Amino acid sequence: MTKKWIVLFVLALVIMGASGACQAQGQRGRLEIMGVPADAATGRYNRESGVFAADVRDFAGAAIHVTFEEVRLVGQKMEWRTEDDYLIFTGGATLTKEDFTLTAETVEYFGSEKRLQAVGSVVVVTEDATVYAQQLDYDEETDRAVFTGQVKVEFEDGVLEGEKFVMFLETRELQFFGAFQGLFNTERE
Amino acid sequence: MSLTAKAKGILAAGAVLVGVILFFTLRFLLQSSPPAVSVPPSVQLVESRLVGRRGGQRQWEIISRSVLQEGNLVTLSDLEKMVVFQDGEPYLNISTPRAQWERRAELLKLHGPVVVEGEDGFRLESDYLEWEGRTGRLFSPGPVRMLWQGLEITAEEMSLDTEQAQVHLRRSVEIREGTLLWKLEEAVYDLDGEVLDFYGNVVVEEGAGSD
Repeated sequence: MTKKWIVLFVLALVIMGASGACQAQGQRGRLEIMGVPADAATGRYNRESGVFAADVRDFAGAAIHVTFEEVRLVGQKMEWRTEDDYLIFTGGATLTKEDFTLTAETVEYFGSEKRLQAVGSVVVVTEDATVYAQQLDYDEETDRAVFTGQVKVEFEDGVLEGEKFVMFLETRELQFFGAFQGLFNTERE
Repeated sequence: MSLTAKAKGILAAGAVLVGVILFFTLRFLLQSSPPAVSVPPSVQLVESRLVGRRGGQRQWEIISRSVLQEGNLVTLSDLEKMVVFQDGEPYLNISTPRAQWERRAELLKLHGPVVVEGEDGFRLESDYLEWEGRTGRLFSPGPVRMLWQGLEITAEEMSLDTEQAQVHLRRSVEIREGTLLWKLEEAVYDLDGEVLDFYGNVVVEEGAGSD
């Protein structure tokens, strides 16, 4: 197993963490709501509270896209609290960046804390591996990504399963907490 | 003083004669001349102040250099001042070169360029506006540009409900707020609550910058 996917994964996390939807300072972002009938209520923006909310779950094929440079976040229900730099997608969301894809039932970004959280059926797919978990917490300050709850890491050479799995960027270190079991293919070409 | 019967008769005849003369004088000399063109009898006023009231409350006030009334239609030209009132207080100041007031329909048509200004820096520009007195609605069937509390709004169609304090925007709606640019198909903006409800597809671009 190479560690290339780890680097890619952490890099992607850093980028998506920095994105904070389209609220990032001095940078260009874009939010699109597509596939909705022209007269259908899509959402609301309250200028006083700075809360933007959109829900297109009632419309087949409709979606909310948030793009920032090469990062794209897609879902059907979202809330963006612009004053707090907080964004949440509920009811399913997918984040993509090149060959990196994160899917979860809920994806939250806490801009003031520089933290991202994905909860429920978390799946992270990279070129080299796929990680399954119930929750992912990424802290931009510590560069630490924590997967918890029925964690399963599938890669070309094997599978690792456990309850908690942590990755650190600086040390490029992987930590497995609690009971973990792995299955490795030792055959070499 | 006693008058003879003859003198009384002369006086009576004189009085009748004066009455007849007055009658014909008023009838033929003071009667308006026929209009030069085939339009209903009209009245033209110069330097006029017109005030529209409804339910005893002032709805609007207009100072115009020229007012031409043709039946139900009042045409105002060279308007100096037009104010729309809400709850008896000035609500909107309107600048427009020409207006037509359909009295029965309570419909005021403003021919552009029209500029409407209100509180808190509210400004609205349009080539043509209609003011419905019965509903208190200001309607622009064509392109409109608005400024409101840091928002710059353009749309292909707009109606402003002054009773509800709501702006309904349709077709190619764009709202710019700082570096945020909204592109919408349809939107309703609540002026008091500062809430924007949007309909259909939406694009929000950040970092587009304002001019």
